[in-house]
Amino acid sequence: MITVTINGKKLLLEKPVTILDAAKRAGIHIPTLCHHEILEAFGGCRLCLVEIEKVPRLQTSCTMNVTDGMVVWTETEKVVEARKAMLEFLLINHALDCPYCDKAGECDLQDLSMKYGPAAGRFAEGKRKHPESYDDPIIVRNMERCISCTRCVRMCERVQGDSAISMVNRTSKTFVEPFSGGRYNCEYCGNCLTVCPVGAIMSRLHKHTYRPWYIEKEVNTVCSYCGVGCSLTAQVRGDSIVRVVPEMEKGLNKGLLCNRGRFGYDYVTSPQRLKTPLIRKEGELQQATWSEAFAFIAQKLKEIKEKEGGSAIAGIASARCTNEDNYVFQKFLRVVLGSNNIDSVAGFAFAPAQRFFENIFGQGVTANPLHGISRSDGIFITGADPTTVNPILGLQVRGASRKRVPVVTLGHMPGLVRFATQRLVPQPLTDTAVLAALVTELIKRRPLSGEKPAFEEIIGKIPPVSLKDAEERSGIPAGEIGGCAEILSGMTNPALIIGRDSVQSSRGQENLLLLAALTYLLNGRIYLLSELPNEQGLVDMGCLPDMLPGGRPLAVESFRKRYGEFFSTEIPAAPGLSLMESIEGAKAGKIKALYIMGENVAYNVPDTAFVKEALSSLEFIVVQDIFLNETARLAHVVLPTLAWSEKEGSYTNLERRLQHVRKAVEGARSSGSMEDWRIIAEISRMLGTEMKYSDAGDILAEIAKVSPLHKGITYGDMDAGEFLWPYKGEPLRHDVSIAGIEIPEAGSLLKKPEKEALYVGIERPLFHSATQSRSSSALNSILPEPYVRLSRALAQRMSIADGDSVAVSTSAGTVELPALLDPDMPEGMVLVANNFADRGVFRVMSWRMHAATKSPVLDGMEATLRKIDRKTAEVSG
Amino acid sequence: MEKYLLRNIDNPDSAHLVEYVKAGGYKALAKALEMKPADIIGEVKNSGLRGRGGAGFPTGMKWSFAAADPKRPKYLLCNADEGEPGTFKDRPLLEKNPHLLIEGMVISGYALGAEYGYIYLRGEYPAAKDILEGALRQAHEKGYLGDNVLGKGVAFHLSVHQGAGAYICGEETALIDSLEGKRGQPRIKPPFPVNEGYLSKPTVVNNVETFANIPYIIEIGADAYSKIGSAECPGPKLYSVSGHVKKPGVYELPMGVTLREIIYVHCGGIAGDRKLKAVIPGGISTPVLPADKIDCPMDFASMPKHGSMLGSGAVMVFDETVDLVKVCLRATKFFEHESCGKCTPCREGVGWMRSILERIVKGAGTGGDIELLLEVAKNIAGKTFCPLGDGAASVVQHFIKHFRNEFEEHIEKSKVGASA
Repeated sequence: MITVTINGKKLLLEKPVTILDAAKRAGIHIPTLCHHEILEAFGGCRLCLVEIEKVPRLQTSCTMNVTDGMVVWTETEKVVEARKAMLEFLLINHALDCPYCDKAGECDLQDLSMKYGPAAGRFAEGKRKHPESYDDPIIVRNMERCISCTRCVRMCERVQGDSAISMVNRTSKTFVEPFSGGRYNCEYCGNCLTVCPVGAIMSRLHKHTYRPWYIEKEVNTVCSYCGVGCSLTAQVRGDSIVRVVPEMEKGLNKGLLCNRGRFGYDYVTSPQRLKTPLIRKEGELQQATWSEAFAFIAQKLKEIKEKEGGSAIAGIASARCTNEDNYVFQKFLRVVLGSNNIDSVAGFAFAPAQRFFENIFGQGVTANPLHGISRSDGIFITGADPTTVNPILGLQVRGASRKRVPVVTLGHMPGLVRFATQRLVPQPLTDTAVLAALVTELIKRRPLSGEKPAFEEIIGKIPPVSLKDAEERSGIPAGEIGGCAEILSGMTNPALIIGRDSVQSSRGQENLLLLAALTYLLNGRIYLLSELPNEQGLVDMGCLPDMLPGGRPLAVESFRKRYGEFFSTEIPAAPGLSLMESIEGAKAGKIKALYIMGENVAYNVPDTAFVKEALSSLEFIVVQDIFLNETARLAHVVLPTLAWSEKEGSYTNLERRLQHVRKAVEGARSSGSMEDWRIIAEISRMLGTEMKYSDAGDILAEIAKVSPLHKGITYGDMDAGEFLWPYKGEPLRHDVSIAGIEIPEAGSLLKKPEKEALYVGIERPLFHSATQSRSSSALNSILPEPYVRLSRALAQRMSIADGDSVAVSTSAGTVELPALLDPDMPEGMVLVANNFADRGVFRVMSWRMHAATKSPVLDGMEATLRKIDRKTAEVSG
Repeated sequence: MEKYLLRNIDNPDSAHLVEYVKAGGYKALAKALEMKPADIIGEVKNSGLRGRGGAGFPTGMKWSFAAADPKRPKYLLCNADEGEPGTFKDRPLLEKNPHLLIEGMVISGYALGAEYGYIYLRGEYPAAKDILEGALRQAHEKGYLGDNVLGKGVAFHLSVHQGAGAYICGEETALIDSLEGKRGQPRIKPPFPVNEGYLSKPTVVNNVETFANIPYIIEIGADAYSKIGSAECPGPKLYSVSGHVKKPGVYELPMGVTLREIIYVHCGGIAGDRKLKAVIPGGISTPVLPADKIDCPMDFASMPKHGSMLGSGAVMVFDETVDLVKVCLRATKFFEHESCGKCTPCREGVGWMRSILERIVKGAGTGGDIELLLEVAKNIAGKTFCPLGDGAASVVQHFIKHFRNEFEEHIEKSKVGASA
């Protein structure tokens, strides 16, 4: 035990902490500037100097640990004088432009000067001059205000791992500058803005538009971008969000945000938002009233249901909608329309992967808290770059790497190049061979635990793949793969992070089995990357063709019966169609009506041309959305709904954490838009099924009754803090169900393209997310245009320079994009994102559905590249 | 006194291995490799050797901390970033006697179990770089360096890293950051470099002259060594004397020789036989002494009792013709220019002192300026991250303490000028 006395207060401590922390525990405030709780100590501002008995010099309380018997004084004359002196020094070169500075009102230096500082400075000479920099679209730099606390630099380097900025120069000429000089060209996480104590680095988005004391309310909610679900606070004035800031102490993100979460919220105020219902009349979508639209929809659905049966109707739910929306939607399909044809894009990869692993390891196997990643003793990642798909999860990986936790990546991950202990970048379509070789090697090195004999039997049947064969296929030296196996075999409880590309593959089944084997052999914890905020919610709410709310299989009669009794109806027993099957069904005339809630299928599903054609052959399409997107333009009725910031509800993140989404503004509500669930409830009522919900809370209460997994949950539970799996509910306990697992043949593991070809894959840019982000002017200003990422070597061979126009052609089509050269890319791949109108990768991907996973098969799309010569283009144009 | 550190200095080829060996070089290394590492550390401890960089920390103690740390590998760094105005004592060692440094470092590396060493060389010593690299090549060829030093199965690799001209990189933790490729700024201590230094491994950083003493200690033994010079901090010492003396230069004298003896006996007195006004005894950051305070023994223990510090032993002599306010301004400009920018008082305060001094020198000083200067210096002193800021404050404080009248004269003149 350590006894320390601060200002006469005795404190008993178990572990040595800094004097600053000890004082905080004793309720004694010591002013600081360069100190920040999420950054490592710096000791530069000297504001936290304190007096320690028997120590001649004043000491910085942020850097010095308490020792037993230490007596500290924080408010002696000597300390107070020093503090005043530091503030006087700081103001020498700090522009005193508070009346004009956006930071005024929430500026640490201003507050401290008011509280402790001398009333007048004695510095008579001129201050340093440094013009404000507007080189960047998002971040304004005013280095006349910088106090060299280096919080931003430490944040950027040590936490974000981007190392985009540095202190430049010495003495009072020190300032912060991006390495690029002008624009930041960084990850734009904006975490530097969070930690800047003064107005030196500020967001340009709201510059001079409001003062901190104008904020009328602050709403704690959850980000609407990805499956991590960061906590954030929306600051509101005059019914509009003026700024989004992270919540320092709360949430899984602990004060960190990514660019999308911090800057991308402005899509909700886009002028492109839908304002009124639209009904197609004489081939054109025309404005209509709500009652007209409701009546039309009810009548058409009734007709089709009576004529063709419920199974001729399909619904597509949304991973951007809340649990409440999605729950009501699946109920509408199953109970009101009598159809199990309900699915979403979560069915492409997230849901099948989760189901595969749950069948082996039990329900909840992927429900692992995020912070476990940085606390693990090893990390294996494949299938996507977590730093772009789920940036805050990516930071966990970077943090672990900084602590020298071994990180092995399989596949090219630009955001982890500097952080991976070992990178395995195989030739296209050969990641399965590498995975199989790793499993083969690990079986040799790690004894089987005997915990799951049935699965062990399956592992034993996986055909072994030698390092040499893996090398021959993947082009990665056998020694490197073996080295990775060696690294992996030293891990005792690693994190296995799995992205969509492993599943959306012609070898999706094989990959899942190999990853399950790896998980079992390493005693790993699985993290499924999730691009959208509520993929897990879709699964848990039963928005799957064969799953009822709470993850209860439709196939089990007792479950079906239970739900049927609850809703006083019979739930159809036959499993419904998946999203891709529904589209095929539309093309084949089997599906007559498609009800789409918040999903842009005409854009977000491969082979856009095919999907559009299929949708066009439907008798009736209803689209609920906030934008008139590619899908809505094909609809017969379009209904404007509320955006994330305008409604109450909940999301379930990729850890399966339930989080409360709160209404921050009225927004489109004032022009008549409604929650998705409210629209559905209204149509249900007109179809004869009453859904008595007055608010989202009523729906949650019903979910809490219907779904055994969500038994008894309330928003209060979510608000109270970490509300993690299995909540208060009953997870599905079952034995390993390995009946459906097919043992792959050696040939399928070792498959390799017959001829050398160039393949096109999906790029997932950090700055965009599906099609929502393209309505954010902030994110568009960071990345206004799509690009094609290709290896520098390939580009050099084709004389393509950064920014040159390149045509990417496949059998499905052609897109023209500027080139982005990547020195670390494998040569046989080019990557194109799917975020920008008319130039998404799905235009050039063909329609291929995996028979078993029902996922789109997105690998193996052969492509050709052609450099577009501007001169020729001009002549021909 | 018999010279040791500079004993071969008059030989024009003294930097060459052949000449060094001819004069008895590398014998101490052979002797040391027959000893147990712990015994070498014991010998250095018993010798009473104190670090020659300026702080005078007992070398043997520093070594035993690093030796006790089980982390591997260990690193040995030589601080050759000799950048303080007035200090040029390491330069003759680097340029004229590089093998003495190398021999000292190999012995030290063996004693500490360090297999890798770096010489962090002042960027403005390009000649020393070439000479050192030549010497390293020779030493490598002859087996004094490499995987198997003198066939004894001991490995030691040594290379030169050139600094980029920042004074702060002479501070050992800033030196380590700079060597790691980072911006050179001092680190928070603890952890100390002996436990977490270069690449977070146990690291000993010693000055050039400190290493140069090691072979001598091995050669003559701790007992004999500890009888040289002052009892409290023994050994030979290099004094670099500059300014208004008849014979400026680097002198090897026993520790504890008086300042008066250095100036009047060894350096031949004041140039032009003018009157002495002031002396900075140990490099620009040590307190200035007036002419009547020079009967002080020049060693680490005695100088504080006489109102100054030994520092690097760089004696700067000012005669009666010198305007000490201008000297004070020049010194302060140096400290401002070299302030790394990490901590508030040094970054902002030193520049403020410079601007006040500048206006005094320019004839624009006002009545309160001396008090303001002292106030600013007081607010810097004892509150900075590293000793650089303390040094800057101390310079101003001591110039005013001993020569306040000169500051007052300047201000008085400005008043006359202003009223005329």
